[in-house]
Amino acid sequence: MMAEFCGNPAVEAGEVLMPRKRKFDRSRICVKCKINPGNLVIRHSVYCKGCFTPLIFTKFHQALEPYINHVSVGPRRGALKPSGALLIGFSGGLGSSVLLDLVYQRYCANVGSDNLKGGREHPRKNKVWQKIYVCYVEVSDIFPETSDRTAQIREAIARYDGFELIPVRIQDAFDRTWWERVSGGAAPDLAGLPFDLGGGDSEPVAALQTHIRALPTPTAILSTLSTLTRLLLLYTAYSVSASHIVLGTSLTSLSISLISSISQGGGFVVPQAIQEEWFPQFVQRTIGDTSWNGEVRLVRPLRDVGMKECTAWVWWHQLLVVGKQRIPVPKQTIGDLTKNFIIGLERDYPSTVSTIAKTVGKLAPRGDSRVRCVLCELPTQQFVQRWKSRTSIRSFTDDASSMDTATSSLPHYLCYSCHTTLTSKSARSTATLNLHSSNSAPALNLPMWAATRLALELGSEQSVGPGAPANEIWETKKLDDGGMKSLVGEFLLENE
Amino acid sequence: MAPKSCALCQNSKAILRRPKTGQHICKHCFFTVFETEVHNTITQAHLFKPGDRVAIGASGGKDSTVLAYVMKTLNDRYQYGLNLFLLSVDEGITGYRDDSLETVKRNQEQYDMPLKIVSYEELYGWTMDRVVSAIGKKNNCTFCGVFRRQALDRGASGLGVDQIVTGHNADDIAETVLMNIMRGDIGRLGRCTAICTQGEDRIRRSKPFKYAYEKEIVMYAYFKKLEYCSIECIYFPDAYRCLARAFLKDLEAARPSAIIDIIHSGEAFELKEEVRATQKSQHSCKGCGYMSSDVLCMACFLLEGLERGMPTAAITDKGRRELEARWSTRTT
Repeated sequence: MMAEFCGNPAVEAGEVLMPRKRKFDRSRICVKCKINPGNLVIRHSVYCKGCFTPLIFTKFHQALEPYINHVSVGPRRGALKPSGALLIGFSGGLGSSVLLDLVYQRYCANVGSDNLKGGREHPRKNKVWQKIYVCYVEVSDIFPETSDRTAQIREAIARYDGFELIPVRIQDAFDRTWWERVSGGAAPDLAGLPFDLGGGDSEPVAALQTHIRALPTPTAILSTLSTLTRLLLLYTAYSVSASHIVLGTSLTSLSISLISSISQGGGFVVPQAIQEEWFPQFVQRTIGDTSWNGEVRLVRPLRDVGMKECTAWVWWHQLLVVGKQRIPVPKQTIGDLTKNFIIGLERDYPSTVSTIAKTVGKLAPRGDSRVRCVLCELPTQQFVQRWKSRTSIRSFTDDASSMDTATSSLPHYLCYSCHTTLTSKSARSTATLNLHSSNSAPALNLPMWAATRLALELGSEQSVGPGAPANEIWETKKLDDGGMKSLVGEFLLENE
Repeated sequence: MAPKSCALCQNSKAILRRPKTGQHICKHCFFTVFETEVHNTITQAHLFKPGDRVAIGASGGKDSTVLAYVMKTLNDRYQYGLNLFLLSVDEGITGYRDDSLETVKRNQEQYDMPLKIVSYEELYGWTMDRVVSAIGKKNNCTFCGVFRRQALDRGASGLGVDQIVTGHNADDIAETVLMNIMRGDIGRLGRCTAICTQGEDRIRRSKPFKYAYEKEIVMYAYFKKLEYCSIECIYFPDAYRCLARAFLKDLEAARPSAIIDIIHSGEAFELKEEVRATQKSQHSCKGCGYMSSDVLCMACFLLEGLERGMPTAAITDKGRRELEARWSTRTT
């Protein structure tokens, strides 16, 4: 029996009861088949179990397949012919597990069978991917409180025939042997550079731990691990001739990571947060060349699939989810705060998650950039240091105009986000990094790709002079009065 | 533990930790960096030219009080050559504006600037108290914001000024960026980090405090012993912006640079070209002549809704079309 009055004297009788919010728009019958009763509500629409599976498959292949061919063949869908193999970035989490299953069901299960529906170019008729790898990045060596989950990951992947696991360890980013293997070249000589890139740590675990200890905030630690993981996946994909990487980022995770990235100054690269085209720094590309030269396309095929839908998929398809590794950091990070906020907001303002992703999808970077950050290898804006010094004065002696051209200083090669990650402190930070001078303490170890790029940039500057293009030979000589006069002689009047 | 020296001058004793950078600095250096950053903002964006008549949107709160003080200080120090005025809006919110308008009048005497006050009652025939009693506590920020914007323009037009400056600070801009992304308002998202906005028939407005942290404005007022009113709008806690503000405060606690980082992100992106092409073009409102992307400007839509007893109709597209049809019938 409903009470007429809740007893709160501040509220008038008759206005107490709030009408119950409907969870779905129309009826309980599935909106797709209009026959079966619904089993799940997805953003106010009701779906039965039978229609749910094809719905998710549709979202998956619509988000991935237009980007499989190296050059788009236009609006009419043709054969899917990727240039290389496929690499699945697998964290063990919910989205990754769903992605693994979808890739298997779509491209591996029942391939070549004549009994199933689909046209001549349907993926089930002919194998799309000649090879599918699954790459997992283990972090337990850096955080002793965590356990090594490689065996569990291997067991989860073993259920899928034809997937080859490539286990990578996070400290490989600082491992010269790993670098020589993926880049096909020798690791750089770091001696003689104008700033210290190593604290003498030749052992990768120690090098990475030194790097992490120097970071000023817990947010910086998680941000760094995310960057290292992304680059490890990209370089691993390149080393196995994979043309595509797919990640299991769901719509919910994507929205959270977009807001988190924007909160850390990553506005210039938000389009890359949705989809990215990357090539290693040591690959030369010619403008206008449309052939594949090892570029890797990073796609997020679950970007239209929410967390709730992923959970339903796991439940109905009885998948094994190992779970994502939780990094032990002492305090809440920007990522944690963003996740709690967005998920909380979704309760009172539904569609917030999809609105964020759609809104950011309509944005583009302001201005061009052909330069990439040495640390995250994403496009970087010009004059970042000048902007920072103008808006936040940290010294009365720094010259803003020289900051962006000081090529012997590490900040010159960093994007806004990475510079902020390395330097921005909280009230309780104890780690301090001075990136503007050499012989700074503590030393900053950099991952191999960053150290290589810096050695190339700075090594070539030192041999030919700052500002000079690396491959040209310059000769300088001082002009005397006679030499200068000969250049302007024809313009001089007789009495000069 | 020995007292720390100021991180900037290395001479004096540090007496505060700067919210924006975390540096321990002395009072004198704090004043210097705060004022210099505002001066950098003004000169970098070429906000003013000598001889400009500039109205300072003054509410009596901390932002506008400090803005008036800093504008006067920088105008004298760097010879901007500006003629400064104070412009205040009375929204008709009982208990909110009474004290703050008194503060603005005191500021007028202290800074020796002419003052003009415009009210919602005289401009629109509605106070915010009457509006809220008609629409409830949801969407009232939309009404107040739209009405205030036009009120400032009309007041400035009456003063014959070239430009309006407002005390919008870094926290305001950062929360606006986040709010517009979360609500999908791409039209506003494309403009919200612009330091200066101007459209046809609209007075140019700028935000010299764009990179100034709210906490530093409070600190500046405290050390300079400036008088201001610290009263939050009674209708604010129910606003969507309040949620974005709470989130921003959490981010700032985790990493103080988050506020300036969000502003940098907002400046670093723009709308895709194909999206910009679909945005509505601006022309004049048929009701009041103000700039509008529709037949009527938002203020006229809101007023039309209030007068017809459909106060929240103007919040939705469908409601606005209905109001436009009724307005057309009324005026033909």
